[in-house]
Amino acid sequence: MYYVEISGLSKRYGTTTVFEDIQLGLKKGEFVTLLGPSGCGKSTLLRCLAGLTEADQGQIRVDGQDITHLAPQKRGIGMVFQHYALFPNMTVAENIAFGLKMLKCPAEEMARRVAEVIRQVELSNKEHHYPHELSGGQRQRVALARALVVEPRILLLDEPLSALDARIRRSLREEIRDIQSRLGLTTVFVTHDQEEALTLSDRIFVMNQGRIVQEGSAETIYTQPATEFVARFMGSYNLLAPTEAKQLLGLDLKGHLAIRPESIQLSEPGRSYPAHFAPVAAIIRQHQLLGNIIRYHVEAQGTTLLIDHLNRSADDLLPTGTQIAVLIDRQQMREVH
Amino acid sequence: MKTTLSSSLPVPAGAVTARPSRLRHWRAALLLAPLFVMLLLFCLAPMGWVVAHSIQGDEGLTLEHFREVLGSPFYLQAFDNSLRISLYSSVVGLLITLVGAASLRRVENRLKNLVVAFINMTSNLSGVPLAFAFIIIVGTNGALTLLFRQWGWLDDFHLYSRSGLILLYTYFQLPLGLLLLYPALDALDDHWQEAAALLGANHWAYWRHVGLPVLAPALLGTFILLLANAIGAYATAFALTSGNFNLVTVRIASLVSGNVYLEPNLAAALSVLLVALLALVAVVNQWLLKRSYHAR
Repeated sequence: MYYVEISGLSKRYGTTTVFEDIQLGLKKGEFVTLLGPSGCGKSTLLRCLAGLTEADQGQIRVDGQDITHLAPQKRGIGMVFQHYALFPNMTVAENIAFGLKMLKCPAEEMARRVAEVIRQVELSNKEHHYPHELSGGQRQRVALARALVVEPRILLLDEPLSALDARIRRSLREEIRDIQSRLGLTTVFVTHDQEEALTLSDRIFVMNQGRIVQEGSAETIYTQPATEFVARFMGSYNLLAPTEAKQLLGLDLKGHLAIRPESIQLSEPGRSYPAHFAPVAAIIRQHQLLGNIIRYHVEAQGTTLLIDHLNRSADDLLPTGTQIAVLIDRQQMREVH
Repeated sequence: MKTTLSSSLPVPAGAVTARPSRLRHWRAALLLAPLFVMLLLFCLAPMGWVVAHSIQGDEGLTLEHFREVLGSPFYLQAFDNSLRISLYSSVVGLLITLVGAASLRRVENRLKNLVVAFINMTSNLSGVPLAFAFIIIVGTNGALTLLFRQWGWLDDFHLYSRSGLILLYTYFQLPLGLLLLYPALDALDDHWQEAAALLGANHWAYWRHVGLPVLAPALLGTFILLLANAIGAYATAFALTSGNFNLVTVRIASLVSGNVYLEPNLAAALSVLLVALLALVAVVNQWLLKRSYHAR
């Protein structure tokens, strides 16, 4: 039995279906991500879980309790918003203490808990600052601390990192994961960023057009996309149409063939290769340096393939126009529909 | 052609843009000139005239007019009436417009636009037409007065009394209050209320701890404008009471255009005291704002 169970949940605005028949289960202490493009319904689903939006149909249960129609105040759910939603008239300490104040927590205990959570999110010496005096990363730490201090049953994170710059985003997501693991907090994270989802999650639910299209571990979602949409959404997958797959690899397929760029190897023409590789003659058309990865755009029989190659040294770089053999790992190919 | 060192050096970007920007600055300042002229002629000059005459006696400079005002129960009653009516109508008007503006943000756009257009229109109905409208609706023999008396809902309401004036003043405060507060409410982020709700705050707790403190500058600013609007009101009150209700503005008018006696210097002293009262309220407002988080 799951700690959080969502069954048959649907939401419409007029004739527009936001999401339909959502079935979802979360284990206690699990870090789950709702991943999908803008408008797929992931944030609305999160809001229904928080009680900020009323679902049209279905049920939400937390620890066996039906909370579908419960007011947000009574759900015991903490939430961190994309744009922080910090109260501008309160200092960092007052923002964090707000939830405890509403719970009528004794002053001494309140001070102790606020100090503890401020230390956890590394905001010591900022207690008396107002939100507008803090950086984006610091504000999001305050928002996180404010949600954590009341010890919620579930923590909801609605794209909490998307307003931050790349460096802060990386460090904060590690901290979020670290705090979540330490507290064993059941967490639902909403994002449209695949990298964030893959880095943070125990399980990922990929959503598209109001439906969950695939569910699984980060490894499963990344290496075994169930649909063409998931393959496209999860990164720079090579997706070959059935005719291209037939022409290039002699495969008779009904759906697209999905091949990860890093599962294709570059080789010199005529060199031997393991049996599970399919060799294809190609020519390098372009390359991009992505830090530790060189991404080659190669052309093989009129089809362009992306190949990610580890950037070991500058000597590795193959110039445009080089004739090569690409070796496609048959075990890594997936037919998707 | 001789090339000098300075002419061959690249001109710093700042130096290139400095002249046109200064020119733009002067051009903008020049466009403000008509406004300054109007302010000088019809605000500052009359103010100066009023201040000068308030201390002008038969034998030179004197504070006699102020002494006369502050020592006269009649004039003090005028201040008391003006302040009470202005204060009550401003507070009630502010509360009604706050609730109205907050609700207006949540209704659908069509209704919102309709209400805003209606408010814009009604804000121009003041003075004598407004007094007449009130007389035919809630006057001694007004439609609603007769109806409410018949139903036993109304006993001693009298439009030409202080409570009648408060009702009238409150009414004409509403459009101004709403037009001032409605845009100010955009400062409130809906996510604050959601965040507060998830932290256990009900509707009232949110407004008490977040909504009202954030809106404080707008509320105080609106309150002062409403207060000034009410204290300075003359035509509506005069039309309604034929000058029989003792208000400061009615007294000032009677002293400068009365057919019994003319005392412009005394009227000036009354005006200066009225302005001083408003200035005091504005100073308190600024002091409160400086103490709030908004000043940081």
